Order: sequence, then structure tokens, then C-alpha cells
Amino acid sequence: MQTNPGLKQIDRYRFLLPTAYRKGMRIEGLIIADETLMAQISRDQTIEQVANVASLPGLVGRSLAMPDAHQGYGFCIGGVAAADAAEGIVSAGGVGFDINCGVRLLRTPYRDTDVLPRLDSLIERLFRDIPCGTGRKSRFPLDPSGMDGVLAQGASWAVSGGYGTAEDCAHIEDGGCLPGADPAAVSPRAKERGMIQLGTLGSGNHFLEIQAVEQIYDAPLAARFGLAEKSIAVLIHSGSRGLGHQVCTDYLDIMQTAMQKYRLSVPDRQLASVPVHSAEGRSYLGAMAAAANFAFANRQMITHLTREAFSAILGSGNLPLVYDVCHNIAKTEEHRVDGARKRLLIHRKGATRAFPAGHPALQGEFAGTGHPVLIPGSMGTASYVLVGTDRAMEETFGSSCHGAGRLMSRTQAKRETTPEELLTAMNRKRILVRGESKGGLVEEKPDAYKDVDHVVDVIHGAGIARKVARLIPLAVMKG
Amino acid sequence: MQASFSLVEHPSDLGIEARGATPAEAFEQAACGLIAVILDPATVVKNEKRSIEVEAADMGQLLVRWLSELLYLYDAKHFIAGSIRIEQLGDRSLRASVWGEQYRPPRAGTRCDVKAVTYHQLSLRSDTDGTVLRVFLDI
Repeated sequence: MQTNPGLKQIDRYRFLLPTAYRKGMRIEGLIIADETLMAQISRDQTIEQVANVASLPGLVGRSLAMPDAHQGYGFCIGGVAAADAAEGIVSAGGVGFDINCGVRLLRTPYRDTDVLPRLDSLIERLFRDIPCGTGRKSRFPLDPSGMDGVLAQGASWAVSGGYGTAEDCAHIEDGGCLPGADPAAVSPRAKERGMIQLGTLGSGNHFLEIQAVEQIYDAPLAARFGLAEKSIAVLIHSGSRGLGHQVCTDYLDIMQTAMQKYRLSVPDRQLASVPVHSAEGRSYLGAMAAAANFAFANRQMITHLTREAFSAILGSGNLPLVYDVCHNIAKTEEHRVDGARKRLLIHRKGATRAFPAGHPALQGEFAGTGHPVLIPGSMGTASYVLVGTDRAMEETFGSSCHGAGRLMSRTQAKRETTPEELLTAMNRKRILVRGESKGGLVEEKPDAYKDVDHVVDVIHGAGIARKVARLIPLAVMKG
Repeated sequence: MQASFSLVEHPSDLGIEARGATPAEAFEQAACGLIAVILDPATVVKNEKRSIEVEAADMGQLLVRWLSELLYLYDAKHFIAGSIRIEQLGDRSLRASVWGEQYRPPRAGTRCDVKAVTYHQLSLRSDTDGTVLRVFLDI
């Protein structure tokens, strides 16, 4: 296996990137991977990007990469970085364009045998009712006051409008509403993009999947999360759509200009950063929280449409949330660093919060279990429900991987496989696929990604998160 | 240098390399590249004209803002450009006319959605042969 010679393997699942790796690194890097994944990670610029992040001022602990890490733009995807909340920096690129891109898992009262005979009608109905792909308009267009409500309140805005229940919000990271949201910090242009996109899935790697629980690893915990073998679940992957993209675009520009004022320089312009407590930093965090709330509301509206489709086709739309997690976010959290408790701004770029049982931020039913950590696989492969551990708190600022992680460029994926070949392969696996764009489908083909089972085995083996359940896809819709 | 563009592979996203005898030509080609990522440019009907003006602090930001402007028109206004003419290009400002159509899905020739234009490994090189630009997109 070819791995980067600058890395030092600590144990089976950990590679350290010393500060001596490259001039300018202020903190060490740590990559959670085994030798196989490390060889894949070493093929692109991921390690350089971990080093780039480690060069940013005001970070504490280590610049982290999860086992699904791959080259992104600025930060690697699968990256986690912690800034001192008082003296550190915030980076718009460290959150990314799709602010609060995330996943939510719904459970259903159905078993696989109930759903399989109607699966075709069900996925057709979902595909008809949930706008996906490019340019399809929302079924819930917003006026300016509605937009401000969404930005300030997140999922609870949708619930107060009748699109869900209070129980839903209790099963979302941060209750479905990030504190500190400032609708006034979101540009008119960003709002304009969002007005016509609430309750739309989008395209790229976003999807909705009907899944069956295939294997349970931790029966008591799976029961607490409401997951039983052969039961049917729905996984929704979407984010803040054009609104979030525009917020990031706007603040990248603002931060680049402001960096000169704060005498900051970064190794890649996409890493543009400002002090957390600067006017620009506070404004970004207010806009980012607002965009995150838009994403929570977006997934809530998609949930509503999903429930309606299940009700129409199968008779019951009783689909409670298992949980909803963010993948791209910056959040103020308390962590122990060198023996002292510190308030930190945790950037998770393609990473999932994984707080274990007993974490003070978890109230209600997850206080004694830890919250579910949702790991979607690639199209046609398994997804997982995990739970965080104390070791994640010690080592990764309570963070885990977020998926399988790309292995192959989109261009290569399209070069290697035709849409017809992909659909035949899915058909052979008896997975129904509905996609708006054939080219887009091929870009998301399973072998364009790492093996999700292996990625999850590594995060489990490293002791960062434990396996609770494995789900397999029955039908998928993609934009 | 012949005006042209090509797509550049990236492990998760996609880049555009645009070339031209002048910076203005290369900027036009970068826009053509962006449109070709989104859909088949040959299918765009040019029945509507839009004027675009962009300002920035430097050439790099100008390139990102120029492409971001086209993306905004597409995402918010559902306007897709098929033909592009840069009328004026300075170090910090740009004026262009674009011709295209209102995008109405489902639409044949659609390829993929672009989330945003990034500053990642952004590069602009000009010499006596012409200008070469490289910009990466978030897909």
C-alpha cells in the first residue's frame, strides 16, 4: 500500500500528520483511516488540505479527517477543525456552499413485505410530488415574511404551519433550529434563490431512498431508536439549496476583503477566514445559522410530502423521525482541550456530530443513549445508523464520518459507465431508481464512492462511533 | 491562442480551463464552460438578451463573480445563457451581453446542477500567447 511518507501511523486506525510535515502548520493533523483507506486518501490532495487547514490561525486540537475523507475545495470533505470561540477564526469555506446539507431518517409502521408489492407506485408518487433536479419549483413558495420565519425558526416554522409535529423537532440536531440566526445577514439575492426552493430535493448527491433495516448490531439501542429488522425507513439527503450556496458565495467575498484588515493570509483563497468575533465573523455566523434553519425546514417540508405519498399509496403516513443530522456546519460547542473546558467553534465539512450518552447538549430520550448518527452510503449500497462514543469527544470533537466518500471523479464515472449500464446493474440488485438527469445518475454510481461498509468498520474499529443498524436500499429517487 | 475551454477532473467536483487570445475571450470561454456543465449549449434558444455588469477587487474575484452571476440568473431567474459577449473587461470590472432563454423543466439536454463557483486553486495566467484561466465548481 502506498501511503504518504510524511504521515506517522499511530495504530491500526490513526495516522498523524506532524507539524513538521509542512512549513506553516500550526497544529497537527490526524486522519482516521486504516491502510486501505489511507492509500485511497493519499491518491488526491486530501492530506495537503488537512495541512492547509492546520495552517489556519486560532485552531486548537488537531486538523481532522474522517475515514470517508477526500479532496474538496479548501477544506477536505470529511474534515473537522475547531477554532477557539473567543480568539479563533471562522471560515465560510470550512462550512462549504451547501450549508447544513444533512440527512434525516424516518421510520415507518411497515415491514418490507408490506411495501415491496407497492414499491413502484410509491417511488413514482414520491418522484411526482417532491420537486427534484434542476429548476423545478417549490410547492411552497415563500413571501418575504415567510422567508424570515423559515430563517429564524427552521423546522419549527414548518411544524407551526401544520407540516409536522413537535415530536419531529425533538428528533433533529439542535431541535431543528440553530440559535443565533440573523435573517437580516442573509442577502436579498440569497433569499430570492430560496423563495422558490423550499421543499425541493436538489440534484448532485442529494436523494431520497426507501430502505429496509437489514441488520441490527445493538438490539437495545436500535429498539430505542425505533428500528426493527426488516422494517422500512426513508432516508432524505438535502440541504439549504440555492439560499445556502448564495450565503457562502457572499461571505467568501466579504471574508476575502476583510482578511487584509485582520492581516490574515491563507494557503487557498477558498479557506478565507475572519476572526469569530469580528463584525464579518458574527454576521457570517448569523447568516449561516439562518441558512442552516432553511435546510432544516427544507427537509421538514420534504418529510411532509413523503408522509403524504406514503398515506396515499400505503394508507398510513405515520412516519416518525429517527433523527436529522447536519453534515456541513460550524457550531459553538464546549469541549475539553488539554484538560480544560473550552468553548470552540467546530467546523464540520462533510462530517457528522456524534455526541454520546450523557452529553449535556442531549436532552430527552437521547440523553441516555447518544443521538443517532446517520451515515448514508452511495446509490445502491448500505446506509448505517451509528452512535457516538466518549472517544469521539476526546479525539474528534464529537464528530464522525458522514458517508462513503468519493473515490472517482464525476468525469471518470461518466467515462466508465453508461446510464443504461447503471440502471441494469441496479435492476439486477432489485433497486428501483428514478432520476431526473441520466448523466447525474451515473456520476453517483456506487463504485464512484468508497466502500461504505469498510468506512463504517473503520470508524467503529477506531472507537469513534459504534454500529447500531445497517439499512439497504429498495428504491431511490435522485435529482 | 484559439478560444476554447475544457473540463478539468477533480476528485469530487469539476473544473473549467478556459483559453483565449485575450482575457475577454478567456472569460467568455469560462462562461461557455459553465453552461456546458449545466446543459447542452446547442439546445439553448437565444430569444432573450440580458446585460451583466460585475465589479470586483481583483481579476480572480472578477472571474468568480462573473460566473456566479450567470449561476444566479439560472438558479433564481431560470435564465440560461447560450451566447456570450464580453463588451468591456478591466482588472476590476466587466460588462457583458448574454443571449438565452427561460429554462423550463423537464428539459432535454440537461446535464447537472452547479452549486457554486469556488476560489479553490483559482488561476489566471496571461502571456504573449494569450490567457488561460482555471476555476473549480462545486457540484
